[in-house]
Amino acid sequence: MNYRNRLRSFLKKPHNIILVSLAFILIYLTIIPIFTIIIDTVTVHQSELMRVKGSRVGDFTLYHWGKVLFSSASRKIFYEPFLNTMVVAFGTCFVAITLGGLVAWLVTRTNLMFKGIISTLFIFPYIMPSWTLAMAWLNFFKNSRVGGAPGLFTALTGIETANWFAYGPFPIIVVLGLHYAPFAYILIGGILRNMDANLEEAALILKAGRGRIMRKITIPIVLPAMLSTFLLVFSSAMSAFAVPAFLGTTVRYQVLTTQMYRTLNGLNPGYGYIMALIMIVIGVLILGINQKIVGTRKSFTTITGKSSNISLIKLRGFRGLFSGILLFMISLVCIVPLISFAVESFIIEPGNYSFSNFTTLFWVGAGSPDIANSEPGILRNATIFKGLWNSVRLSILVAFFAGSIGILAGYAIVKKKGSKLATLVNNLAFFPYLMPSMAFGAIFLSMFAVRRGFIPPLYGTFALLVLVGVVKYLPFASRASVGAMHQLSNEIEEAGIIQGIGWGKRMMRIIIPIQKSSFLSGYLLPFISSMRELSLFILLVTPSTRILTTMLFQYDEKGWSQYANAINLLIVLFVVISNMIVTKVTGASIDKGIGGQ
Amino acid sequence: MPEIILKNVTKKFGKSIAVDNLNLKIEDREFVTLLGPSGCGKTTTLRMIAGLETPTEGEIYIDGKCVFSSNEGIDISPDKRNVGFLFQNYALWPHMTVYKNISFGLENMKWEKDRIKERVIKLLEMLRISEYSNRYPSELSGGQQQRVAIARTLATGPKILFMDEPLSNLDAKLRMEMRTELKRLHTETDSTFVYVTHDQLEAMTLSSKICLLKEGLLQQFEPPLDIYHNPSNFFVADFVGSPTMNILEVKGENVNLDEVKLSNGKIQVLFIPKSSSITVQDGQKLLLGIRPEDISITENGENEGTIYSTLPSGMETVVKIELDGLILTCVVFGGVDFNIGEKVKFSFNSDKNILFDKKSERNIASGKLI
Repeated sequence: MNYRNRLRSFLKKPHNIILVSLAFILIYLTIIPIFTIIIDTVTVHQSELMRVKGSRVGDFTLYHWGKVLFSSASRKIFYEPFLNTMVVAFGTCFVAITLGGLVAWLVTRTNLMFKGIISTLFIFPYIMPSWTLAMAWLNFFKNSRVGGAPGLFTALTGIETANWFAYGPFPIIVVLGLHYAPFAYILIGGILRNMDANLEEAALILKAGRGRIMRKITIPIVLPAMLSTFLLVFSSAMSAFAVPAFLGTTVRYQVLTTQMYRTLNGLNPGYGYIMALIMIVIGVLILGINQKIVGTRKSFTTITGKSSNISLIKLRGFRGLFSGILLFMISLVCIVPLISFAVESFIIEPGNYSFSNFTTLFWVGAGSPDIANSEPGILRNATIFKGLWNSVRLSILVAFFAGSIGILAGYAIVKKKGSKLATLVNNLAFFPYLMPSMAFGAIFLSMFAVRRGFIPPLYGTFALLVLVGVVKYLPFASRASVGAMHQLSNEIEEAGIIQGIGWGKRMMRIIIPIQKSSFLSGYLLPFISSMRELSLFILLVTPSTRILTTMLFQYDEKGWSQYANAINLLIVLFVVISNMIVTKVTGASIDKGIGGQ
Repeated sequence: MPEIILKNVTKKFGKSIAVDNLNLKIEDREFVTLLGPSGCGKTTTLRMIAGLETPTEGEIYIDGKCVFSSNEGIDISPDKRNVGFLFQNYALWPHMTVYKNISFGLENMKWEKDRIKERVIKLLEMLRISEYSNRYPSELSGGQQQRVAIARTLATGPKILFMDEPLSNLDAKLRMEMRTELKRLHTETDSTFVYVTHDQLEAMTLSSKICLLKEGLLQQFEPPLDIYHNPSNFFVADFVGSPTMNILEVKGENVNLDEVKLSNGKIQVLFIPKSSSITVQDGQKLLLGIRPEDISITENGENEGTIYSTLPSGMETVVKIELDGLILTCVVFGGVDFNIGEKVKFSFNSDKNILFDKKSERNIASGKLI
């Protein structure tokens, strides 16, 4: 067959067209920007003219690399934040996997009580914005030593909290650990649930004890999943920005992301781009290691047996106690923060919790000159509503595009399973997942600040926010869709092809309806994620495109914590309620997007 | 006159060749079975004819029209080839009722509502599934799902029907039943059937012609009984028939003009070809194939052996006889049984024994043994 004919028949298949166009678009949006970042690390920017003597904007320079890695200031600029990032990431993994794994095991393998409510509530911290717990921590434990009013804990007990307890690595690790524990819970729980119970029963028949089964059978089988969870949590924790920003900055505890924000927004964008590049490299390494693990013979994650009812381990006398404590702890983490936001948003003078100090000023007040520059209460505040509208608009658009492109990507990838092109697109679509949000924002900042070919400079436009959100959250949608398509036998579509049903109709009437809940999950996760995302957008917003989360951050930076608390309450409620509605109505769930079963 | 012609069709998956230069002509109203062990390229062949898979090279004609040609760049999409396809897993759309599954294709052809209804009802009756028309596929048994799948395939009235191991997911009893149905359907619908299976019994009982493939290469394309009695090579002989053919490794030697003396250490027989004479080199290695039913246990048989095992099934008994370290399988009809270790006499009394060359595995001749 000659090449023209071959090309023609290749392009006649919709999935080939999808793959080719996605390959081009994703290379343009994920690979090429990395080169622009590399160039940015060796370029003189406007704000650096004073430092790099005798240079003009755009000149080549090694100044940034030298300063960041090999100078007397390097320790402060780079090595210390880098070390802190590692400490935080490892600590977070430890907390998240221990906690998530334990709860997953308790829920799937023991006769724990209240399983339904525990597994619903346990996911909560992941649905809520990550800084929710950080703010709650501050509301409770902040002390007056660093300045400002003490928190609820001190107000109630009179005990001044220690600095290490209130700020810095300890609270950051605890808060991030709690935030990502649901992630570990979903992944490990999925494996435990799907693991063929016969494997354990076979060992039981051979007279192996419970402990031995656990050590020799169960753990080795879930180990690859645990390792993969570890890597994913690690990369997420590494790229976390909001939590270290809230809990670390007061005591000058810098991590790479906060340092990046400072330098990119300040006088040394060159430094920031170097840090972004280093984080991307680590992210890619993690992706590589993860694929190695998942791809090898030792990976058992795909085992799906009949989950016959394995006999649950009896917790005996501890059953009630255990269940009670677990439920209490989880409720504490889920509900108490919300109460603290509500309380904090109603008091005029921070730290004074007497009844006379309560006010509705920050919610419905018209604004008075002596408080926060006459900023009106958030329910009467046009800028807040603008931010809310922007947030909702952004989330809907991101969800729509990411979800729809994800469906097409999943369809085409599974259709051409095993081909080089499909593998390429699959990896490209997953790549943004491992790029730290802040670095990804930096990439798009660097890429689209100027005109690129026919694309006008996008900085400052709403479209840029949508674009970065779509690419960043495409992995969620494409994963959900690949999973859904794998479950669908190819014959289902071929039965339609034979009858002359067009491609569009096949998608809309056959494929999508059958797997609608999985596909909807591919829309849900990008929606929720962009609603609560801060670090991805923070470098890209301008006053006209402000969204709720960046406004919250700005209010907090100004020290107007009541506004910040009120907005946070608004975001949390919005996210949680919309998640609840979507889950109830459509059966979609965020578990599927993350990769749990 | 929907006939199907394949010319030099080749399909490669990367470096492995799934179908190798296949030439085939399927006549109108035939019931052709593509038979072979798994991985022989039969499903690929079927999918290429239907248009679900693109051949690497070659030409395919349906009803005189070229539907695929690698040289001219023709590749007509499946729906324009006017064929039906019955899938192994039925591929019923789980979110549509039985009625909707059948009517969906017709709606797509912009038929009028009344006409669709009429057609669907007729099909439901024909396949005896009228009472399930409002059920969803998951609420049906395997056999009922199979019927729905057939009805859906027949709905648009294709003149050619492709089936990819449609019965392999059914239990033995239902499979027998559906075989009868399919054969009846073949006559009723007056169309051409192309059927893929790895079950030689299914192929034997159903088809008017069997196309036997091995590793992508066509072995033989003839009516079932011709394949059974006159296999073109050793592979075909061994693949078709149950219990399988007895194979004896022997050395040949031409004697008395056209007879061949076959010897294997202790056993010596004379092979008399049915038709023309054959020549073998002295000491040429040969394979002698004897069908189990061509060995008869009789009191005045000229050979004697020991019963090695018996498998009585009521209608027939499969008996294995040991003869100087050789094990021969034979079939005895009627409810008879033997004791293991018992001595019996038997003879080779048919003229359908086949001689293969060991090296090329080709069929040299068939004939009598004395």
